Amino acid sequence: MSKHSALNTFGRSGNPAFTRNFNLAGAIAQEERMTLDGAVNKTVILLTLCFAGSFIGWNAPALTLPALIIGTILSFVTIFRSPAKAGATAPFYAAFQGVALGGITVFAEAQYPGIGIQAIGLTFGILASLLFCYKTGIIKPTENFRLMIFSATMGIGLLYLVSFVMSFFGSGIGFIHSNGLFGIGFSLFVVGIAALNLVLDFDFIEEGAEQGLPKHMEWYGAFSLMVTLVWLYIEILRLLMKLRSR
Amino acid sequence: MNTLIFGLLTIISLFIFMKLGKIKASTKQLNRGNRIRWTQNQNPSLSEDRDNSKIAKEEPEKISDQSKK
Repeated sequence: MSKHSALNTFGRSGNPAFTRNFNLAGAIAQEERMTLDGAVNKTVILLTLCFAGSFIGWNAPALTLPALIIGTILSFVTIFRSPAKAGATAPFYAAFQGVALGGITVFAEAQYPGIGIQAIGLTFGILASLLFCYKTGIIKPTENFRLMIFSATMGIGLLYLVSFVMSFFGSGIGFIHSNGLFGIGFSLFVVGIAALNLVLDFDFIEEGAEQGLPKHMEWYGAFSLMVTLVWLYIEILRLLMKLRSR
Repeated sequence: MNTLIFGLLTIISLFIFMKLGKIKASTKQLNRGNRIRWTQNQNPSLSEDRDNSKIAKEEPEKISDQSKK
């Protein structure tokens, strides 16, 4: 039993993207096992598809909302229905999210020219620096770390959901969209949490390769990384827009 | 200038990700007792070695014919 009561109650992993389908390596052939090389290569494939999709979204911003909805549905299907088939769903997810991000970036660029490349640069800068910190052991993810990040992520998700529902009734949670100090502070916090989710993704991929999970988990690891990167990019874009609007 | 700086940052970061991502993490990172056990959900027995947990193994108790009576 764990010393954390929450872990005993809800299970080891709270993150739905990581709780399913860990068919471990009992009798899997060496070439059928997950590797770091494979996970990185698949992440690069998904990133390429996302960039290709964003090119379409950039030129046809009207596709933003449909692409966002399809991408979100695909992400839920991958997480809750068929993690083993992430190889089939993740490329479509990346492409559709790319279209949505391209459209969102066009709207942001129209208001604040040059903001798109800043957000992309910062997103990948954070990715590389956190990967360095993880690989060298500067950041050491533990069970407490995971519980903290998971709780904060769920809290942010709930806050956004409440704000979204309230917007239908003509109100909302003002501070999360404001460009005041509190709004910027909130955005900084959300960017921090999104960035720390990357560390959990790295740790999952590292352990998956170490334990020799099945090959399809490479796609799942790449998909998890992609979901976090998309979220991080949107939050950085929001933060930069708040800063530029002051 | 803005595009150049952030474009370079993007390319360099992607290069670092592609190179560093394929290298195994340091022993400082991997050989820790408090690592997250992602794979314990489905098959806890695989994580036992890391815990150095010792499960007492007992011989199954033999039921004699007399116990049926």
